[in-house]
Formats: sequence, structure tokens, C-alpha cells
Amino acid sequence: MTPWDGRGLPPAAAARVQRAADTRVRSSLLSSPAVAALGDVGLEPVGEVMGCVVMHLGWSGWGCNAYSRWGGPVNNVGYVPAQFSGQGNSAYEPYVRALYNGFEQALRRLLLEAQALGADGAVGIRWTQQRVDGVGNREFVALGTAVRARGSARPAHLFSTDLAGEEVAKLMLSGWMPVGLAVGVSVGVKHDDYYTRTQANSFMSGNTEVAGYTELVHGVRSDARAQFAHRAARQGGDASIVSRISLDTWANESNDHRDHLAQCFIFGNSLASFGGHEGRRARRAAETLTVLPLTTTTP
Amino acid sequence: MSPKQTELSLPEDAMRRLAEMKPGQATSLFTSDLSVNEFLLVREAGFRPVGLVLGSSIYHVGFQFGRWSKNQELDTLTQAMYHARELAMTRMEAEAEMLGADGIVGVRLEIEFKEFGNDLAEFIAVGTAVTGERPPPTGAWRNRHGKPFTSDLSGQDFWTLIQAGYAPVGMVMGSCVYHVAHQRFWQAMGNVGQNTEIPTFTEALYDARELAMSRMQAEAEQLEAEGIVGVQLLSLPHRWGGHTTEFFAIGTAVRPLREDHVIATPQLVLPLLDR
Repeated sequence: MTPWDGRGLPPAAAARVQRAADTRVRSSLLSSPAVAALGDVGLEPVGEVMGCVVMHLGWSGWGCNAYSRWGGPVNNVGYVPAQFSGQGNSAYEPYVRALYNGFEQALRRLLLEAQALGADGAVGIRWTQQRVDGVGNREFVALGTAVRARGSARPAHLFSTDLAGEEVAKLMLSGWMPVGLAVGVSVGVKHDDYYTRTQANSFMSGNTEVAGYTELVHGVRSDARAQFAHRAARQGGDASIVSRISLDTWANESNDHRDHLAQCFIFGNSLASFGGHEGRRARRAAETLTVLPLTTTTP
Repeated sequence: MSPKQTELSLPEDAMRRLAEMKPGQATSLFTSDLSVNEFLLVREAGFRPVGLVLGSSIYHVGFQFGRWSKNQELDTLTQAMYHARELAMTRMEAEAEMLGADGIVGVRLEIEFKEFGNDLAEFIAVGTAVTGERPPPTGAWRNRHGKPFTSDLSGQDFWTLIQAGYAPVGMVMGSCVYHVAHQRFWQAMGNVGQNTEIPTFTEALYDARELAMSRMQAEAEQLEAEGIVGVQLLSLPHRWGGHTTEFFAIGTAVRPLREDHVIATPQLVLPLLDR
């Protein structure tokens, strides 16, 4: 048997999807309320779908820009600006590209499975990364439920969302449709300079902002936000809602200097409005009704 | 439209919209930090999200000893908490200002201790900037300083507030970092085996909370608010050990938009849930 060439779906996945397409049994990862809610807006589950890719992230950049190209750190005095992957000239750009590739490839494979099942999109997607055996190996997984719309209209591209079935139904009743999942990633690095060392000194300085570190975390979040907005906009939506923002920071010590690194991930959904005047006024059914639940504790 | 028709046309309309999509061509899209409920309710309340806004500050919190056996406020630390939150909030408001927003909803104000060092914490404010679709019955949505209003209310609370004829004017907060006196040895020995109040502790906690709450109230008075809703009173130990605690009061100051404050009588529902 020839090994899989990395195109399309792995043989095991292709076989399972084929089996799922042939049977009348419809599996899904949805809760019962989610299935009921999706049924109300004309979406039916057709099967659970997965996409996964294991990447080796071997090279993650060569540190801060305070290293001159010919070796040796520049003087540890004065101000050294922070650097971000989205600016295009960062040493961390290849690493960030690999992260994008991991997430987007996993999602693409999930949608390939969905397409094979005749679906129009996938909902409730869990889009995660985790370390696997070996240094620098990381698995990117997307796991969700493929759904098909009643009626004859088919989308140009399959839609994808990490929102639960109930949330998708609420959006559709108000005239909004999820378009696609998007992720924004940025890695930033800040060389410890004279200012950060002075401001962060436990005994010398009183109450003070450490401007250099603020520059790092604010910059890395801004960069990730810009990346996220760009990628969400490219899918053609009108709005986006962020579901998760994460920020990790760590220090990297080498020779006689110290860098601080920050990595920011932003996950979210891009949405498109449909049905005339944003569909809202046309669909009075979605008007909010105030209710008082007759339970002792709020559910 | 009968329910039958809705059932048929809804997925059709949605899929048709997706069929028109032209990926690769960037559209004018806004980002938001809202949940689906908040997103829909904020729009139904008559506001449009214009963008996710964020402000942050990494702050070195100074050093101050509390006297071992004395109840006292540690004002250096209080000032640090105020100043750092202020920096984060101001930066978030500046982003909203740039977007021409009338206000910021769903604000989360958080403190995270990061790997930068022991006395360093990140203060971060995140929210969604919104503009009103039409001005309120009186004046403008912005507060009396001409600044976008801020609110940490959830989408549901925000919707209810607007329905009831109130508008948020700003998030108000009060902070007090307090050192609670240690008991002297003989005091502690005297209480062994007894159930008794420790008046110094009670007094200290009263003092600290009252200070935090009155500072929050003063901020609301400055904004000429009618009241404060959704108040949380938190005791945050941070990293100062058992006897030093930050007492933090935070809420949303509101002003009335009209005379009456009635909302539609809620329907009674009996959820068929098994919990």
C-alpha cells in the first residue's frame, strides 16, 4: 500500500466518510436542544466530522532584533522597540505561518469530510491545538457536526462556526448567518532594555507602569486583532464576534540578555446578514419576549 | 408570514446569502467581543457594534509594609490599583473615541499576574464599542464629559436597562487595599476554646469595604448619575499574603431617559428542564 500523499483526506477518514454517506444513520455531536433549535431554522445534522494535522514546529525564530545579524547582542542600554510577527519583518513570522497553516488545514479537512457527506456547513466546531510526543510536535484538531439546509439553495463554500446549535438558530432567526471560523495569531518579542529593567526593579521603583512590557502585550494583541479582522473580512462577512482571546508570555534568557515573548490567539466567527433590511424587521418571530422563569434558581 | 413559510424560506435565504459570498474580497467588517445573546440584544436595544476595543497596562506595584498589629489602609497600593486600572480604561476609551463610538458595552476589567516578575501585573480592559442608531429622547448617549459611556453589564442587563428608560453613564469603581492587624499573642490565647467575635477583624473589614464603596459612590456623583446598578463588591487577595487584601467595588452608573420606568410585564414560564 502506498503511503498517503497528504492531499485530500487520509485513507481512514475517506473510508469512514464513505461509510457514513452510504448509511441512513445520522450521527452528531450536538445536544438534543441544539438539534431541535437547528431543526427550527431548517438545518439537519448529517454526521460528525473531524480534521486534524500534526505539524513539526522545529524553528521558531532567532530571538529579538537586538541581536545584530553578525552575532552578539547590541548594547544593553537605551530603548529597544518590541517587534511583532504581523509587521512582516519579524523573525517569528515562519512560526506564525506554521500555526495558521495548522489551524486552517485542520478546518479544511473537516470541511472536506462535511462536503463528502453532502453538507452545507459545520456547527459547534472545537478548534484546538495540543502538544504531542516529541519536541516541537503539535496536533491541530477541528471537530464538529456537519449540517445540511432544507430547500434547494446551496452555499458557494461550506460555512463553519464554533457556535452551538442554539446560538446558530438564534442568529438565523434574527437574520444573521455564520460564514466561517477565523483565527488571528501574533508573536511579539521585547528585549529587556534600560527602561524595563529600571521600572520593573522591585526595590528601586515605586508605583510605575512598565512601559516596555505594556508595549509588548498591547502590541501583540493589536497585531492579533488586526490579523483576525483581516481574515474574518476576507471571508466576506459583515460582522464578527470574538469567542476567545488568549495571551501567553514567557521569558527567554540567553548569554547576557533577556527577552520577553508574548503570543496571542484570537478565535471568532464572521457573520453575514441576510433577508433584506438586515432581516430583523422582516422576521418578527425573533422579537425578544421577556419571561420570568417559575423556578427557584435561575437555570 | 405563516410559520410554515418561515421554515422554508429561512434556510433558503441564508444559503442564498452564502452563495453570493465573494471570499478574498475584504469587506467592511466590524469585530466585537460579544456573545451571540449580547450581539443580538445590543442590536435590538438600538445600538450598532463598531469594534472591539482594548486597553492594557503592565504595572509595577510599589512596596508598602503594614504595621504588624495595626488596621490600616495601604495607600501606596491603593493608588497603584487605581492608577493602573485608569491607564487600561483610558486607553480602551481612546480606541472607542477613534471609532466615533457613543459607548462601550460588555466591559471586562481584569488583572493578570504574568511571567514578567513578582510585583508586575497586567491590568486589562476589553469591551465592544457601539453607536446608537438614534439619539436618546434627551441629549446624547455620551456622558456629561462628552466621553463614550462605559458599562460592564451583560447584554441582557443592558437591554433591560434601555427598555426601562435608563442609560448607562459610566463604570464607577472604588478600591481600598487594607492591612488587617494581626492579633497579639495574649489576645489570641484569650480566645482559645471560645466562640467569640474578634472586633478588630470585624472593624477592619467594615472600614475597608466602606472606603471602597464610598469611593465608588463619589465617582458616580461626579458623573451626575441617578444610581449605580450591577454592583459587585470583591475581596481580592492578589499576591500580598493573608492580611493584605484589596476591597474593590465596581458597578455601572445610570441616568434616567424618561419619567416612567416600566417594561412589558414578563410572561411567566415553566421551563421543562430536569434541573
